[in-house]
Amino acid sequence: MRELVARYLSQSISRRTFLKGMTSAGFSLTAANGILESLIPVAHAEDGAAAVKVVEGTGAECFAEQLVASGVKYIFGNSASEDAHFYEALVDRPQLKYILTPHEGPGAAMAAGYVKASGEPTIVMQAAVVGLVNAMGQMFNAYKEQTPLVFYSYRTDQSGRAGRDGFEEVANQEQIVQPMTKYSWLARRPDMIPETVRRAFKAAWTPPHGPTYASWHSDYNDERVRAQIIRQERVDPRMRVRPNPDEVQRAAKLLVEARMPVMIVGDEVYNAKAIGRAVKLAELLGMPVTQARQIYASYPETHPLWVGALPVGRLSSLDYPKNPDVVINVGNKLQHNSPNPMLGGDLKFIDMRIDSLSMGNIIPTDVPLVADVAHGLDDLTAAVQQLVTPALKDKAAARADETRRFHEKAKTLRDLVMKSPDWNRAPMIADRVTREVAQFADKDAIIVHEAGSVALHGFEFDPERGRDLFFYYGAHLGSGVGTAAGVKLARPNRQVICLVGDGSFVFGPTALWNMARLELPVITVVYNNHAYSGPHSRVIEKVPGGRMVQTGQFFHDYLGNPDMNMALIAKGFGVEAELAHSPEELRAALGRARKSTADGKPYLIDAQVARVGVAWADKPWTPPIRVAQERTRKV
Amino acid sequence: MLKFGAAILGAALIAQPALAQQKKPAAVGFPDAPGKEVLVSKCFQCHAPTMWMDLRQDRRAWESTLYRMVGRGALWTQDDIRQMADYLGNVYGRKQ
Repeated sequence: MRELVARYLSQSISRRTFLKGMTSAGFSLTAANGILESLIPVAHAEDGAAAVKVVEGTGAECFAEQLVASGVKYIFGNSASEDAHFYEALVDRPQLKYILTPHEGPGAAMAAGYVKASGEPTIVMQAAVVGLVNAMGQMFNAYKEQTPLVFYSYRTDQSGRAGRDGFEEVANQEQIVQPMTKYSWLARRPDMIPETVRRAFKAAWTPPHGPTYASWHSDYNDERVRAQIIRQERVDPRMRVRPNPDEVQRAAKLLVEARMPVMIVGDEVYNAKAIGRAVKLAELLGMPVTQARQIYASYPETHPLWVGALPVGRLSSLDYPKNPDVVINVGNKLQHNSPNPMLGGDLKFIDMRIDSLSMGNIIPTDVPLVADVAHGLDDLTAAVQQLVTPALKDKAAARADETRRFHEKAKTLRDLVMKSPDWNRAPMIADRVTREVAQFADKDAIIVHEAGSVALHGFEFDPERGRDLFFYYGAHLGSGVGTAAGVKLARPNRQVICLVGDGSFVFGPTALWNMARLELPVITVVYNNHAYSGPHSRVIEKVPGGRMVQTGQFFHDYLGNPDMNMALIAKGFGVEAELAHSPEELRAALGRARKSTADGKPYLIDAQVARVGVAWADKPWTPPIRVAQERTRKV
Repeated sequence: MLKFGAAILGAALIAQPALAQQKKPAAVGFPDAPGKEVLVSKCFQCHAPTMWMDLRQDRRAWESTLYRMVGRGALWTQDDIRQMADYLGNVYGRKQ
């Protein structure tokens, strides 16, 4: 109750959430309402006073107060002795929940997962530069994927040790992160801690989103100061931009006059909760919809205008339509992995995004629409509606009909994957594991996907009414398990399934311990082929017919001999787990996983997957390094 | 080469798409035989010929490889797959 009152008074939760929490805690609705009524005068007083207030206390207390004012509920951190006064401040601020993560990387991934799934702010804390560099892999991911994640770590104390190249000190610590943050800053005095924190949150959460970093000398946390604390809504520029109306008219004209328009969707659609708007525009024009690789599924894959994701990141790789003349991108960053542009040929390009910095850099743009895509879609749809004539309606209907026929045919053809002659083999092919999980998953399951060499099929993602996807494209590996833990923390009432490759899994399994401790019932399925199969194939493509292939000596890809047992690793972190070798074993294991999660416990399945690819041997060669044999003393 | 068994063409596609797209690959080294036309029209959409160069396996394994491409988004009919597996098993089959 104490915590609920504190959170209500700090405006961390709504009246409704307060009442729900109180009734869950055993209070009757009448009693909860009575308590709420008694709090209203206090809340109003706080409302006026606490939007901007002056706090006296240690620098760390001011830090904590500003986090509350910035809307933070969860803090993800790894132990840092110089943050002692901050931990002290937490004791009397139960509305701030500190989650100890045993490694900064998966800890930051967990924070990022929480931010993505909740839309709520959080902060990742590390010990000085030594902890920071552990977290920087996920900082890179947050930068590439435009996740608004705030990082903090202290520098060596100003009063005693700074500048001597001593313990845990490096020069210009804040500069290390500059290429992969939107903002990195150093508080110059203890009383500037709240201001620095505010700026970090403002920069991270002002579109286009991205990570930020704040730092100060550790002894600033210990000093007593008087500082202003300002709530987020008083510093947030509320950047929800409408597009230029002239450009909207140009875009609408291009779309209605198009022979075959195509829409590419992306993460900004998901983040703006604008999927319904994207569907409306597509339906109005009978326009096929696709998506280049992003984090989320931003269009219902069951919708008849959905023609599938771009298979190799190029529009021309789509089977349908083959001849678009106008392309509109709504909210996709269009990250290029090839020297060639994703869009080629003679077509008109409309680019609607809030991320103006990345527009027009690679693909020549006919109509730029810098906007919050929810507003942009509303305005563009209205403009198109103004231009639609009966003849254009007929044209759109015919296009929609043709697209629907392709959609249905494509679904049938995709399901042919189950006709593989290896469908029932053990160890399993990855496609079998995928399809078993797709058939097992709840209709509104959330799939966290970090199995980079695995293409998902059979899930039919539909974020607004069905299954949700959390993929990645930052590609610092080891994010999957942490992300899944963070997603479950944010959405405890949805089934969360983490699909992860063995290579990715061993980069970041420590969040399993958080799943066990916090009772985050996530199901993790490891595709374990004891190899880095992506790098294996790419190396051969770069050196076809070379010495590696001739001799079978691949130095970089085989993770067996000895095989890693992911189930035993999970058990070491307190998560129940098992191996599954065959489709039958996998199905049975998934049943046990469902029961375990219903009981509130996470579960891991180490699914044994066949190594498939050019030049894989049954027992791959490993470099002949055996130190024990070279010893002269048996010690 | 015989010791290298079952194979997949496109494990790299998801992690690093479109590298094969930098140049339009020609069908150099692909002898004329039934099924070649289907293969070139379907596979070259995503793959460079280097993906084929080192792989020799029997028809069944080629068929399995092709179905893995279906799992990666290839939209082919069973007849397309049959023709391509026939061609690959014939031209890129195991060396005796």
